Amino acid sequence: MQIKHFLLLGLLCAQSIFSYAQNQPASVSGLVRTEAGKALPAASITLGQTTFGAVSDASGRYHIGQVPAGNYLLIITSVGYAPHSKKISLKPGQQLVADFKLEGRVQEMETVNILGRTASQEVNRQAFNVTAIDASGLYNTTLDISGALDRVAGIRVRESGGVGSSFNLSLNGFSGNHVRYFIDGIPMDNFGSSFQINNIPINIADRVEVYKGVVPMWLGSDALGGAINIVTGNKFRNFIDASYSYGSFNTHRSVVNAAFTGKKGFTVQLNAFQNYSDNNYKVRIEAADIYTGAYAPAALLPRFHDTYHNETVVASVGVVGKKYADRLLIGLTAGRNYKEIQTGARMVSVFGGWHRRGNILMPTLKYKKENLLKGLDVTVNANYNLGEEQNIDTMNVRYDWYGNSKPSGANGERSRSLYKYKNNNGLATTMLNYRIDAKQSLALSNAFSTFNRTGSDALNPTIAEYEQPKKTNKNMLGLGYSVDIRNRWSATVFGKYISQFNVNGNNGGAGRNSMERLGYGLAATYFVRPDLQLKASYELTNRMPEAQEIFGDVENQEANPGLKPEKSDNFNLGFGYNFRLNESHTFALNANAIYRNASNFIYNRLNNNQSKLVADNREGVRTLGGDAELRYGYGSWLTAGVTATYQYLQNMQRYEPGFTGVSVVYKDQMPNIPYLYGNGDISVSLRNVGRKGNNLTIGYNLLYVHAFWLYWPSRGGQSVNDDKKVIPRQVNHDLNVVYSLHGGRYNIGLEARNLGNADLFDNFSLQKPGRAFYLNLRYFISSN
Amino acid sequence: MKLKFTKAIILAMVASVSLSCKKDNGNSRETRGPYVLAVTPVAATAVADYLVNASSLDEGSITTENNGLEQDGSYRYYVTHNNKFFSMLYGQSNPGAVTTYNLLDGKLNKVSNFQTETVQAFAPVNSDILLMKIPRAITNPLANWYRVNTNSLLISGEGTVNVQDLSKNGESAFFSWIKQVGNKVYAPYFSIKACCGAAFDTNFPDNAWIAVYSYPEMQLEKVIQDDRTSFIGRYFTDGLGLTENGDVYAFSSSVATNNKVLTSTKPSAITRIKAGTTEFDQGYFLNFETASGGMVITNWLYIGNDNFVVTAIEKAQRGAYTVGNRIGILNVANKTFKLAAGMPAPDQISSISANNYTPKNGRTAYVGVNMKDGSSYVYKIDAANQTAARGLKVEGGTIAAIQFLN
Repeated sequence: MQIKHFLLLGLLCAQSIFSYAQNQPASVSGLVRTEAGKALPAASITLGQTTFGAVSDASGRYHIGQVPAGNYLLIITSVGYAPHSKKISLKPGQQLVADFKLEGRVQEMETVNILGRTASQEVNRQAFNVTAIDASGLYNTTLDISGALDRVAGIRVRESGGVGSSFNLSLNGFSGNHVRYFIDGIPMDNFGSSFQINNIPINIADRVEVYKGVVPMWLGSDALGGAINIVTGNKFRNFIDASYSYGSFNTHRSVVNAAFTGKKGFTVQLNAFQNYSDNNYKVRIEAADIYTGAYAPAALLPRFHDTYHNETVVASVGVVGKKYADRLLIGLTAGRNYKEIQTGARMVSVFGGWHRRGNILMPTLKYKKENLLKGLDVTVNANYNLGEEQNIDTMNVRYDWYGNSKPSGANGERSRSLYKYKNNNGLATTMLNYRIDAKQSLALSNAFSTFNRTGSDALNPTIAEYEQPKKTNKNMLGLGYSVDIRNRWSATVFGKYISQFNVNGNNGGAGRNSMERLGYGLAATYFVRPDLQLKASYELTNRMPEAQEIFGDVENQEANPGLKPEKSDNFNLGFGYNFRLNESHTFALNANAIYRNASNFIYNRLNNNQSKLVADNREGVRTLGGDAELRYGYGSWLTAGVTATYQYLQNMQRYEPGFTGVSVVYKDQMPNIPYLYGNGDISVSLRNVGRKGNNLTIGYNLLYVHAFWLYWPSRGGQSVNDDKKVIPRQVNHDLNVVYSLHGGRYNIGLEARNLGNADLFDNFSLQKPGRAFYLNLRYFISSN
Repeated sequence: MKLKFTKAIILAMVASVSLSCKKDNGNSRETRGPYVLAVTPVAATAVADYLVNASSLDEGSITTENNGLEQDGSYRYYVTHNNKFFSMLYGQSNPGAVTTYNLLDGKLNKVSNFQTETVQAFAPVNSDILLMKIPRAITNPLANWYRVNTNSLLISGEGTVNVQDLSKNGESAFFSWIKQVGNKVYAPYFSIKACCGAAFDTNFPDNAWIAVYSYPEMQLEKVIQDDRTSFIGRYFTDGLGLTENGDVYAFSSSVATNNKVLTSTKPSAITRIKAGTTEFDQGYFLNFETASGGMVITNWLYIGNDNFVVTAIEKAQRGAYTVGNRIGILNVANKTFKLAAGMPAPDQISSISANNYTPKNGRTAYVGVNMKDGSSYVYKIDAANQTAARGLKVEGGTIAAIQFLN
């Protein structure tokens, strides 16, 4: 165990013999530059025949840590440059510095950042179908995480309104809880409304990884359609990044990120952010006077009860770079949000007093240590959310869109309530990774989560008597084995065992159920050439019903205690290809095809009176689809890209309950799911504008979503008079200009959203904001 | 320039996919005519109703495939009055809506859509539609009513009535339906606890009540009572029938419950209020269980000449919300009941529509019959011959309502 020797018979690297002879790991770091001396980002630096490697950052720096002492061949490659290699010998504990200059291949001298996703390329090289967004390029915008995700191929974020409105992310045809969210690998399932991807600003993130379909096992979860992992920055040991923006609809946003790290490894990290908006944009609606019923088919009226704000602080203290821990952090996430509810699931139901409050108070523990024992990495995370949510509906009136109200009974606007509840969410994850040798590794992960809703209502004290226990415990155990021949191929096989126990109500056996499911999968990638990568993966996945789906969310999600786990065969096939036409024109093409065959498909539908959403099973749904992304770079000053996604979800439920004949919607396309959409973007960067070190970036983003039907496509007439409910085509133009001064320390951004002032809808009748302008100021300073 | 390139690529992609999509507008399937059928596609969930016009109820077929006017949601109720078709959204505790259509070139044409409360009873009264929102919480004694003028399509009046001072038994009254009788509004009701996790339970299963209101003031004038039957009508069901001579007939299903158990000791029966009186006619009693050989009545439609077309169910299978799959003809003058010959076997029927059409000729009714195999037909019921005959075939959904517009 203590000593392992490997004799590697590589043809090129015959002499790269290395050993694990010593305990103390070493590191290699340095700077990669072009011949001209410019920093070269996105160069790949690897230790030949091992899994160790890094990608140079925007300033050309790289760092490979935790390397066992030994002899290695250090290889540096970058698109458009001749590969470079160097033999190195690492002594125990040595911190070797190795700088490089790369020669342009066939006179390709320009450094070109074709993806705008430099630091994230390493992620994209995994066997999984994954896209990573480099968040740093978006720091001068007012985007939140969901806004950034909306620009990724295969993703559609559907929002029900303006700032803070509810969202539903659809990824390759899967939506809702098919897609799981993580922050630094920790599931976000139970964070409550105060800390969600629609209110976390992009500046919190270093990058955002999007796994489509098969999700790596170290993201321990029962994600079925994919996963989003927000990776927060620890690029800089000491920095302050503060921004503030103001814009249309009285929208204020501020973000402060800061970290301090002392010489001895003591660290304090702080993220704080705030969003506020009146959301009083105008909408075009069928309005009627509450007193007379006088009908105005296309009135243009402002939203009058839609204020949203949230304030959140994420603070951690701990140590980094210690013998016993690479990172040990104890933290607290504290925040609150306030949301006025303007409409129900339809814009025709309008409210003027109903609102919601929530808070999050969540202690967290994060621990990570690589090589705790030789080759063994350990990660442990735990958190518990003490936050509360409250639903406040106390006005016994009915509102109309003109803001008039009149008394109506005694049951509030929808259901008189001051219901206050806690979900008592807890989570603990453990991840063990063991490197058997340079190529093989074993991973074992376990994730346990618990949910126990308790609540009371000051207005309806008798409800307490009828308050039923609502509990669920879920555990996921995963085991995986990986082989990685760097830059040639890699493969992972894994299994996941999920068990869940629900308690719903007091009536003994009927309200209790436990479910166990076993899933497994395989993911592989192969590099045909360094610039051409193929990926394939398969998984038999299981998706358990979420607590919110079983018990409802007290607002717009209705409970469905009978929801069954979903099972799906997921196949993914993709490739990535980088090429250039000549020295200036650089391209990157990524394309993926997916096939899903799901049984007991879980989807959200409107309940029968259209007032709430309810999660339900379809016996079978088949999905065939694909997405593609092409990016183009011209020199270092222009980048452009297009993405396109098409997915065809087909209802495969042959019989409807209670009927023996074949369903009329058997093999019909699933309704209310966007199936064709795309993005286009173009960005121009001008250096040294005004004075040296000041840069100007002008960017444009186009969003296109094809129209889709609210209900089954085959039913009902489609002529104008037939009034078939449709979510109309969306074409949205955004423009932004950023002026950076002093090497990026001061930034001024100006953003115009929905430039064409189009009436945009993601969900039926729920109109999104029209043309809006935002001014964004940002200050950034760092030192290492 | 790059912008154009970007757009061009997107447009090309969109175009290619659009072309591959089916462009079948199905005009060949479009049907027109004075009859309006509300059809709910057989897909248990997430469906809207479709309003499909038909030229005849006696023959032919219609389909929801690429045909019909899509409604927003299937919790909808329909009524025709003043030659307009009203579609009412039942929004539960959310606002409801009233969408109004007229007939234009044999198809429905939307003329108004306004929000109201979600209502539990509605009926034509004079030239209005009277809507009633009925509370089911003991903490709220007031039911709201709204008068919608069917000419102006505006709300012409509104008010409240107290539903806890009708029986004065500590429970709340819940109107099963409302009906214009002469210049009054009759509102039969059942008594409910309106409380404590069992809102529709009652301690008074053996009484029948009808509240009588003036119109348009909606002032309470009287509560008519009877203790020979349980309550009149059912949830969302019109338990009254008004004959040509002004007599009012009332049915009881005998389905009052307490603690999830049927508790009434009274039989399912028909009683009468003679024209010009406001008391139950103690000289008239039709024991439906005896007349039918062991069934209870679950709904009815008055077709004229003292004939009702009735849905019924075996007594053992009855429930507060269970509608029968048997159709028969009840003559309230002769006190006779006979099942209609020619109906499919009850075990093959999934449901029978609650909202049906009669030309009120004393003889004919058109009833929607939805089969378990997914097919649906309009059956023509002939009261004279006591037969049922298959008429219009409805494809792609179950029949929820059959109405007629000029």
